[in-house]
Amino acid sequence: MAEKNRKTKLFAAIDVGSYEMSLKIFEISPGKGMRCVDSLKHRLALGNDSYTNRKISYRKMEELFRTLEKFKTVMKGYGVTAYKAYGTSAFRETENSSMLIEQIRSRTGIELFILSNSEQRFLDYKAVASRGKMFDKVIEKGTAFVDIGGGSIQLSLFDRDSLVLTQSLKLGVLRLHERLQEMRPRASQTEDLLDEMIGSQLHVYDKLYMKDREIKNLIIMDEYISPHFNDAVSSADNSGYAKSSDFLAYADSLLTKRDEEIAEELQIPEENVGLLKLSVGMIKRIVRDFDVEMIWAPGAELCDGIAYEYAQDKKLIKIAHDFEGDILDSAAMISRRYQGSGKHSKIIEQAALTIYDAMKDVHGMGQRERLLLRLSCILNDCGKYINMMNVGDCSYSIIENTEIIGISHMERMTVASAVRYNHTPFEYYDELQEHADIDKRSYLTVAKLTAILQLANALDKGKKDKIKKMKAYLKGGELHISVNTDADLLFERERFGKKAVFFEEVFGIRPVIDRKEI
Amino acid sequence: MDFSNTEYYTNRERSWLRFNERCLSEARDENLLLFERLKFLSITASNLDEFFMVRVASLKDMVHAGYKKSDIAGLSATEQLKQLYPALHDFVDLQYDTYKKLSKACVENNLLMLEHHEDMDAKQAAFADRYFTDNVYPVLTPMAVDQSRPFPLIKNKSLNICALLKKSEKHNDFAVVQVPGGLSRLVELPSNDKNMRVVIRLEEIIERNISKLFLNYEVLSAAPFRIMRNADLDIEEEEAEDLLKEIEKQIKKRQRGEAIRLEAEKGIDKKLLARLGSELKITDDDIYEIDGPLDLTFLMKVYGLEGFEEFKRKPFPPQEVPEIPAGSDIFEDIKKGDILLHHPYQSFEPVVRFVSRAADDPDVLAIKQTLYRVSGNSPIVRALAHAAENGKQVTVLVELKARFDEENNIGWARMLEKSGCHVIYGLVGLKTHCKICLVVRREEDGIRRYVHLATGNYNDSTAKLYTDFGLFTCSEPVGEDATAVFNMLSGYSEPLGWNRLSLAPLWLKKKLLKLIRRETEHALEGRRASIKAKMNSLCDPDVIAALYEASAAGVDIKLLVRGICCLKVGIKGVSENIHVYSIVGDYLEHGRVFIFDNDCEPEVFLASADWMPRNLERRVEIMFPVEDEKLKERVINILDLQFEDNVKKHELMPDESYSKKKVSGRKRYSCQEDFCERAEEMAKAVRNDVKESRVFIPLVNPAQDKEIEDEI
Repeated sequence: MAEKNRKTKLFAAIDVGSYEMSLKIFEISPGKGMRCVDSLKHRLALGNDSYTNRKISYRKMEELFRTLEKFKTVMKGYGVTAYKAYGTSAFRETENSSMLIEQIRSRTGIELFILSNSEQRFLDYKAVASRGKMFDKVIEKGTAFVDIGGGSIQLSLFDRDSLVLTQSLKLGVLRLHERLQEMRPRASQTEDLLDEMIGSQLHVYDKLYMKDREIKNLIIMDEYISPHFNDAVSSADNSGYAKSSDFLAYADSLLTKRDEEIAEELQIPEENVGLLKLSVGMIKRIVRDFDVEMIWAPGAELCDGIAYEYAQDKKLIKIAHDFEGDILDSAAMISRRYQGSGKHSKIIEQAALTIYDAMKDVHGMGQRERLLLRLSCILNDCGKYINMMNVGDCSYSIIENTEIIGISHMERMTVASAVRYNHTPFEYYDELQEHADIDKRSYLTVAKLTAILQLANALDKGKKDKIKKMKAYLKGGELHISVNTDADLLFERERFGKKAVFFEEVFGIRPVIDRKEI
Repeated sequence: MDFSNTEYYTNRERSWLRFNERCLSEARDENLLLFERLKFLSITASNLDEFFMVRVASLKDMVHAGYKKSDIAGLSATEQLKQLYPALHDFVDLQYDTYKKLSKACVENNLLMLEHHEDMDAKQAAFADRYFTDNVYPVLTPMAVDQSRPFPLIKNKSLNICALLKKSEKHNDFAVVQVPGGLSRLVELPSNDKNMRVVIRLEEIIERNISKLFLNYEVLSAAPFRIMRNADLDIEEEEAEDLLKEIEKQIKKRQRGEAIRLEAEKGIDKKLLARLGSELKITDDDIYEIDGPLDLTFLMKVYGLEGFEEFKRKPFPPQEVPEIPAGSDIFEDIKKGDILLHHPYQSFEPVVRFVSRAADDPDVLAIKQTLYRVSGNSPIVRALAHAAENGKQVTVLVELKARFDEENNIGWARMLEKSGCHVIYGLVGLKTHCKICLVVRREEDGIRRYVHLATGNYNDSTAKLYTDFGLFTCSEPVGEDATAVFNMLSGYSEPLGWNRLSLAPLWLKKKLLKLIRRETEHALEGRRASIKAKMNSLCDPDVIAALYEASAAGVDIKLLVRGICCLKVGIKGVSENIHVYSIVGDYLEHGRVFIFDNDCEPEVFLASADWMPRNLERRVEIMFPVEDEKLKERVINILDLQFEDNVKKHELMPDESYSKKKVSGRKRYSCQEDFCERAEEMAKAVRNDVKESRVFIPLVNPAQDKEIEDEI
């Protein structure tokens, strides 16, 4: 049996969330794809501590260790060979998260990583994408994706089949629930009040991003209504796809029912009904504002996304969707929003990748850093929208404060720094450390990416697209960049020469231009 | 119409007493074999003991706590006790009337059960005295009571002999000696008539020799007695939460271990009885003067006497389950389709094999099981321990709170833990009564879950005596639910949804009420609507009210309730469409089956739960559907046949009595006998198939078989 099962992997996904810890065991095989064989949830409100004190109490940490130990026993029982464990906002909002992670490692042997909001949302998005054909079908048309969490919601938009825009809004159901409790509205006031709370933020979103977009489908991801969507909404098929009109009819009837009645109908604890109503109220408002036709509630969870990403990385399943494309497209969307020079960006991206690939044996970086370099190129001059005299710092600020779905906080800061030093003098580690939260490894990545970006930028400094063809190769300790052009490269050569000094400092390789006339 | 009107409900204690009367009616039934009648009489005695310890004790607690809330029938605890006392005394009188008749019948059939030691002849007396000196005397602890020695603690349920002693003219002393529980209650004596066997009870031998225990005293009188105490029993799940709080408050005032029943031989010396009464602080209502031997459970020992086989029912060996032939790979059998087991007609062996095979199977990753009551030296417990030793992940929920089984359970739970099993010692505030076993196996096409669900315990001994159902399945939705059940039992949150199983105390009651109400709606719409259900007890007021509502709407309801039934039949506009039956037979009817017609598309459920508040609200129970059409039909057929019984079936009448129709003129039909025959035929048919085949099928070592399979 073992021989036959060799291609089937048993993988465990652990999500240490703000209110609950989850473990899902997946069976992943090239033939059958992903199948969840066990799912455990343990209520542990870590968020209560970290949101208020920015610390997690000793008692809760003990409970966390105990539960992870129990998870390990379950994993062992299934013969799990690989796992990924992630912590989300409770850890993000904790001051001493690195100490906690070390405690978890030493006490339980489990390596826990903290996801940034955008990484978490990207995994959520992957969880939805793990539904395969249905996902592809839904995103063919203009689609919005709302991911409803406790503290915030993430509202993303698809352009054709690629996710281009994402925004986090502080409209999480728990947050709203707490605010409503403070305001103590009468039952008849609740829906209107909720509408006002959501409406004000949605209005801004609408003005900024929607313009003349046509949204036909809405994908929802939440823990409240999604699990019951098929039973609750009359036209919903098995995959959780239903007409928005049916959802609205259901929502209208649900919001007028007593909590007890809803609990019995959906077989859920009565204490969860309040949050369910808020989630439904929120979806209802989005459906109306965006005027969507269909709703899809695939019932996916973060753990599904974790497993999907693992299967993708290990090439255990075929993945048709281009997730890297989503990240690049959303960066391009940011660049457009700040009137970045699209054509110039394309040119320097091309040049930078040529240099990056030629330097593969020297720089020792991988696919992920290649992606960061592309993002740096796309966003290289977004700051000029604010101030042309201070493009580096302004670009840095924009990137620092804009979510790019799919990359971590540290990766975003790496991109922001590379873009900044493309325009301003590079700062050395000791100097940089004084004002930036960056580790040494990331610092070196910043240095390498900056060196390449500067060189690529220099090659189109005049923004005249002078170089028609470009090749790069290493020879005798030099990086030869062979360019085909008829144009005068005086300006570019001057810039190139200056930037080559830093490049040589970083890589110990001197870059030279070999010009070939066409 | 207010269906919750207390007038429509029967008090549960009264209903319980009626159940014991039905058991007693079996002992009085002359159509039964003599020793079977003795057995039934013995059962009524042990039933009554339990009733006192749990129910009467509980009512007394309520009185002590000043708990005023009335029961389902609108009676306060005081009123219930008031009604119970005469009924209990009448019942005991009937028990002893029966005993006398049976004792006489025994003499006619060559067994003399001597009532008193005075009835022994010289030879028998000499034998008894020697028996006393050799075997009994060394283990006796006589306890005299005088000014320096206080009244001793008399153990609950123990049989004792009290004596009035005289040392001097002035003063009489009181003494007690406990009849040792470790010695056989029954002693066979030599007989002058070679055809007649003679037995006497141990307490009579002690009483005859009592003067040997109190030398220097003159024994004025002696008599056996027995007491029952309100001990630290588990009544928690029986009663409402507010009562428990009330009891908690009153706990200091309450007399722990107070005597709640005193049984003494009729004609006991009045001075002795008065002394016992005052020492035990017992009221007249709680004193039972017994015209015959105390504690009739000794009749089970009489049943066990060698010989007399013609007076005992021929034991029926549980039959092979055709879908799981001997030596087959049980996992392969289950893969072919769901398998229903009907115990005790069909063997419990496949269940033991299921766990044992899982313990040895290298592809099995985990075994998870709930255990409520298991036999001593249980093969299932051994298999689970073995599985853990083999490196499987074994999770066992051991219900320590199983009544009267606590000590036994702790012992083997520790043993399981030592073997490496993860043992969960029950849940806080809930008794885990569901019967479920999950085996997770890694197979060629991935993880597969095999599940066994049952209405009865994982107890290979009682599985030979109790009628129950078991279901083997590897259906994915049931497997997912079973996994979720164990996750919940391990302390994890409820899953986002359930596929097939309904779990108490979460959803089971709501689901039941929904199913009943659906039938009501169907009836109101003029569609076909019926409910057939079988259970041990029915006393949940909400369920009964829903049944009344259904009946009023025209739903045809047939119930088979073995024990307590608080529902009343034949109330105009309320329960005219409800018929309630009870089968008290050789096997204890124990299965829970619920069939809802659903407008000609019947839904069939099996469950571990009765329709009692304790099952639906204070226990973890599982109701599971039978989905395979053939199996569904089989269960429906089984229940229909049970309703056809005209030998062991009693019908509940509007006056709350039970009536058993005379068979005269009709063909005698006992469903339990029929099920034995059917099981035999089914097993025989499979054996014949094998015999008639012209191809021999060699049995191979299952492990080898697997290796070959792996190589292919």
